[in-house]
Amino acid sequence: MQQVNNQPRNQISRKGLTVWRLYGLIETLVIALVAAGSAALTYFFEWPEWLYVVFGGIIVLFGFLFIYLFPKIRWQRWRYEVREQEIELQHGLFIVRRTLVPMVRVQHVDTAQGPILRKYNLAEISISTAATVHTIPALITEEADELRARISVLARVAEDDV
Amino acid sequence: MSETRYKLHPLSAFLNFLKALKELIVPFIVIFGVNLFRDGGVSGMFTQGWQGMIPFFVGIVVVLFMLVAGIIKWKRFVYWFEDGELRIEYGLFVKKKRYIPFDRIQSLNYTEGIFHRLFGLVKVKVETAGSGKAGESEAVLTAINREDADRIASKMEEAKRGFHPQAASDEEIQTAPVEMPEKKGARVFYRMTLKELVILATTSSGIGVVLSAVAVFLSQFSDLIPYEALYEEVMLFLRFGYLIAALVIFMVLAIAWIISVFLTIFANYQFTIQADEDNIYITRGLLEKKKISVPFKRVQGIKISQNPLREWFGYATVTVESAGGSLGDKEEKIRLFPLAKKSVMLPVLSELFPDTEWEPKLTGAPKRSVRFFYRLDFFWLAPLVGAIGYFFYPFGLFSLLLVPIIIGLGMWQHRTVGYALAGKQLTMQFRGFSKHSFYLMKRRVQALDVTQSYFQRRKQLASIEGTIKSGIMGASARINHMDTGDAERIMAWYEPSSRPMPEDEKSQPEYFSG
Repeated sequence: MQQVNNQPRNQISRKGLTVWRLYGLIETLVIALVAAGSAALTYFFEWPEWLYVVFGGIIVLFGFLFIYLFPKIRWQRWRYEVREQEIELQHGLFIVRRTLVPMVRVQHVDTAQGPILRKYNLAEISISTAATVHTIPALITEEADELRARISVLARVAEDDV
Repeated sequence: MSETRYKLHPLSAFLNFLKALKELIVPFIVIFGVNLFRDGGVSGMFTQGWQGMIPFFVGIVVVLFMLVAGIIKWKRFVYWFEDGELRIEYGLFVKKKRYIPFDRIQSLNYTEGIFHRLFGLVKVKVETAGSGKAGESEAVLTAINREDADRIASKMEEAKRGFHPQAASDEEIQTAPVEMPEKKGARVFYRMTLKELVILATTSSGIGVVLSAVAVFLSQFSDLIPYEALYEEVMLFLRFGYLIAALVIFMVLAIAWIISVFLTIFANYQFTIQADEDNIYITRGLLEKKKISVPFKRVQGIKISQNPLREWFGYATVTVESAGGSLGDKEEKIRLFPLAKKSVMLPVLSELFPDTEWEPKLTGAPKRSVRFFYRLDFFWLAPLVGAIGYFFYPFGLFSLLLVPIIIGLGMWQHRTVGYALAGKQLTMQFRGFSKHSFYLMKRRVQALDVTQSYFQRRKQLASIEGTIKSGIMGASARINHMDTGDAERIMAWYEPSSRPMPEDEKSQPEYFSG
């Protein structure tokens, strides 16, 4: 019997973590910009000075969570496994979600690569059923292409049991 | 093979025009409504000379344009049968062609509006499996004769017979003018009674909609209502006594109820379920008669819903989740039973879907999970009660009553939630406020999710969610805070490669093709 803590076997690429940290950095920069704007307003309108500390604290906290902690947890949690008859995924930050997609239900598989992913030679792979889309976010490009080919072969071969 | 090109009935031109008009009614009301209430109302428009008339002229031009467009659309719309396909050519400015292979057509749905009925016409909607760009893959024939509708149905049947020769050997298709074009052998399974219609109207949320519509309607005209004068009248009125006030409120409720009953009867009059071996046919409507067909093959899941009031009296609604259909089409979720006693619907359901077990024994959530059903609610509840209690001090404290209500609802949800595995069928029962039971077949479930938060993990709990195809999107059934053992059991039941499950898999996997 499958145990819930018996995780799927494969992890996503270590470089995925780097990319997520990069996203986190960008988000933090946006927040920092907003905080800087608020600080400027505080200066001009002579609001209480402790607000500077609050703004600084927000930036540090946000940076810690979104650059360090959250990507780390997400990356450690992300698991996938493509077996002959099904695909199993596990991911989530606060809530761990395990998804089971039978091969017979898979309709098509796509890989996609944005500019940042391309720079790191990564690609994401989306598996579509008739009603759902499941994405594995960061795989080495060759690995992703290979997996896409493999899933599409398996999906064609898989037989319905009913 | 005849390649006669058929045209729609000329009424189509008028119907096209009406439809365009209907879409424009809101902008028109905005434009003219503003002008009507501006200095002097309608008469003001005329006293201002020709400039005041400008919106009027624009309106006339637009209406004329739509009329002409409707006629041209009708003129240019032709359809014919060729090479086992229904071919359509149409378009106002750009000529478009659409070829639909007959064997790809899933169903023909018929609608008869008031105008259709005057001329003995019918509107035919051709629905295909709808993969990919779903909204694109269908066709609507705005108004055609019954005979023409029959011809399409029989052509489709012919084409399908070519692919399944044995299925049609005993079935002769004839195009005798029947009331509605339909395949032979359809049997009536259920007819809704007037009593059920009235109960449907009374217990539906539609009555609330009607009430709020009346309220909105009144508030829209607030500018026109002389409130000061009214106020004095009301004060007089109140002095007259609470009895009268109560009477008026009762009258408003009664009127809303009557409107609601009438609307329901208009929509669902003579609601009938018929079925032959391939399709379910649902016919309904008083002024506008609708007939839709649902192929059994496309049924993805069945949901039985009961709001608390209906649950109390043993009534329930049944919806069928069906694949395909078109984008933005409300009929993806087909109401198989708008409302019926459970004891009435269950025999019909088990006759229509003999493979489904309708009242399986459910496994509930463990006792320790009950707190999870209301714990999160305190995140919004505590600040809300705090704020109300603080700002409206003595009486605001009554908001504390919300706490037991929320806890009570949570406990109720906990008691309702449950699942059952029986062979290839997964049944999930849960409650938001209304109770829902989802009946899913394994091969219709597209993906299964098990989610677990940190707190759930500590208590060995997990939530389970199954997704099926519905319309062009998915529909999910979700049961929260179940035992992890149950989650594993459902996962293992669903997992194709983990066959041996002796204690739970009641029937061994049978190998026959469906």
